[in-house]
Amino acid sequence: MALIEIRDLVKKFDDKRVLDGVCMDVVEGEVKVVMGSSGCGKSTLLRCINRLIEPSSGTITFRGQNITDSSTDVRALRQSIGFVFQQFALYRHLCVLDNITLGLRKLRGMSKLDAQAKALHELARLDMVEHCEQYPAQLSGGQKQRVALARALAMDPAVILLDEPTSALDPVMSREVGQLINKLRGENVTMMCVTHDLVLAGAIADRVTFLDKGVIRAEETIAHLSNHHADEQVRAFFGSAA
Amino acid sequence: MNFFDIIGLLAVGVGQTLLVTLACSATGMFIGMTAAGLRRIDFFGAKFLLNFYSFVFRGIPVLVLLFLVYFGLPGMGFKVPPLLAMMLSLGLISGAYLAEVFRGALDSVDGAEVLAAEAMGMSRLQVLIYIELPQMLRFAVPGMVNEFTTVLKYSPFAYTVGIPEITKQAMTLASTTLRGIEVYLAVGILYFAIYRTLLLGVQWLSFKYRVPGFGAR
Amino acid sequence: MSGWGAFLGDVQEQMPLILAGLLQSVELTVSVSVTGLLLGIVVFYFSLSPRVWVRRFTQGYISFFVGMPLIVLLFLMYYGLPQWGVILAPFSVALIGFTFNVAAYNAAYMTTAYNGQDGSELEAARAQGFSRFQIFRFVSLPQVLRLSIPALTNQVICNLKDSSVAFLIQYTEFFARVQELAASNFQFFKAYLFAAIVYLALVTLIILAARFIERLWVIP
Repeated sequence: MALIEIRDLVKKFDDKRVLDGVCMDVVEGEVKVVMGSSGCGKSTLLRCINRLIEPSSGTITFRGQNITDSSTDVRALRQSIGFVFQQFALYRHLCVLDNITLGLRKLRGMSKLDAQAKALHELARLDMVEHCEQYPAQLSGGQKQRVALARALAMDPAVILLDEPTSALDPVMSREVGQLINKLRGENVTMMCVTHDLVLAGAIADRVTFLDKGVIRAEETIAHLSNHHADEQVRAFFGSAA
Repeated sequence: MNFFDIIGLLAVGVGQTLLVTLACSATGMFIGMTAAGLRRIDFFGAKFLLNFYSFVFRGIPVLVLLFLVYFGLPGMGFKVPPLLAMMLSLGLISGAYLAEVFRGALDSVDGAEVLAAEAMGMSRLQVLIYIELPQMLRFAVPGMVNEFTTVLKYSPFAYTVGIPEITKQAMTLASTTLRGIEVYLAVGILYFAIYRTLLLGVQWLSFKYRVPGFGAR
Repeated sequence: MSGWGAFLGDVQEQMPLILAGLLQSVELTVSVSVTGLLLGIVVFYFSLSPRVWVRRFTQGYISFFVGMPLIVLLFLMYYGLPQWGVILAPFSVALIGFTFNVAAYNAAYMTTAYNGQDGSELEAARAQGFSRFQIFRFVSLPQVLRLSIPALTNQVICNLKDSSVAFLIQYTEFFARVQELAASNFQFFKAYLFAAIVYLALVTLIILAARFIERLWVIP
């Protein structure tokens, strides 16, 4: 059984079908990459998984439980799913350490000391310990990204959802993000990443899922998609950066 | 009796002036924060009531409301002590203004951070307390200083309900010494000194709780 | 609530006095709104002076009057000045005191609006050869006035509400008349509630008028 099973997922905004019957699995330990141009619905898909957006129909099963029905404890669900935002969304009134300990203390009920120890452990994993007393405004984009990741990791989530992790970064830092994701995969962290960055996708996954107009059009290697896919649009998208 | 003797005699009332100012400011802070919070979490029906409160309490003169509470309510069977009367008039009025200050400050909080907190699994109340409130308070500093100053400047009305603060002392002193000019000049200087001290206190607090890069945008 | 009929009867009986008081309130409000704006513009002009000591002085003026209660200023003139043989009527005392106070606030609003502007227009005007006063008169002031309309109208509302303070120096405005009414029939609650409603109605009128003016003066 897959960790996340998405079946016939539909999301309508007014009359527009942003997701139009998406089916997809995320298996424990894998890094799932969803690609597509902007507006294809990939961010919406990600937000449906932790119910930041309510799907219109279809089901999402997380650890064997249907999380789309109304009896789901949304807050408990969110606590077991990490989310890293495009613009990082660090709490700017809190220093790096407090950004990470906030959830541990207030949601997990950990003591301040335990939370700090845990936070420092996560920061060490991402090589950010020396920045722990700085505030978000004092960090570079890449450093903010690491803090956002550490903040998600600290909650020991079953999966981490990454929304366009490189779109706010320059190319050098983007490559670092790829290395970071690979390192975490080596430590058995399950991740689902939506992006339109082909370089990143190529660096972190062998196979990618291509989403277009709310429908999954293909699930293949990037090389295959850019050369052999039957749909010209798919070839064009993946050929453009290859 | 020289000028410094006058200041010394007036200083007896400083404690009461501070008490009135702090009590009314605290009332205003509490009301303003509650009002802005209720509006933020869209508490059922709160919006209409809050608009009404804001309209009424920003439209009635402090002195009229104070008299209504202190001299009017006893006729309806409620006897209100002087300090409470100040809190129910000046305090509630400053609460209406502070609610607007806090509302504006809350609007300055980055929506992405609120979303991130919700994605973490925080309840609406937790988001309000741990993310929105601490940021909002920093954004609201200039507005709060304005409002505290206003409260300080309306605090002399307390003399009309018999609180022995600076102005009350001054009226007694002026009528016994017949040196109104020196007395009221001294009063002005005392208020100005309190005002500057308050500003220094706020600057110290802002420095203590400063966050690098905050408020730059 | 009982006795409103009797109370309104009393109000009707004293209506001429109450209306006269209301007129005095409006008179004071309008006067200080005008003089406060004019003096405010002068103070604002000096706050832009190239001379450091002039700027310091105006800043000191603004800071002092923003930090000092209006009522103290009124008491200083009303109860203090007779000591030097200067006896002023309550209206004069109120007019002078309010004007100094309101001008400080208005100057502060205008300074804020001025600081929010970009300096390129002023540089352009200087490059065209306008004098410092001409730039102030034809460029800075019109823009700043328009930008500070919301703050300035708020100040008018404040002036109306604060005009009730003048009864403490025996100016027979509206609130003083309401006190007399209350003292005659001992209906304090009803009298003050009546006063509150009248002030609310006047404030609403000012807000509506301000919206109208704002729409007239809008800059595309």
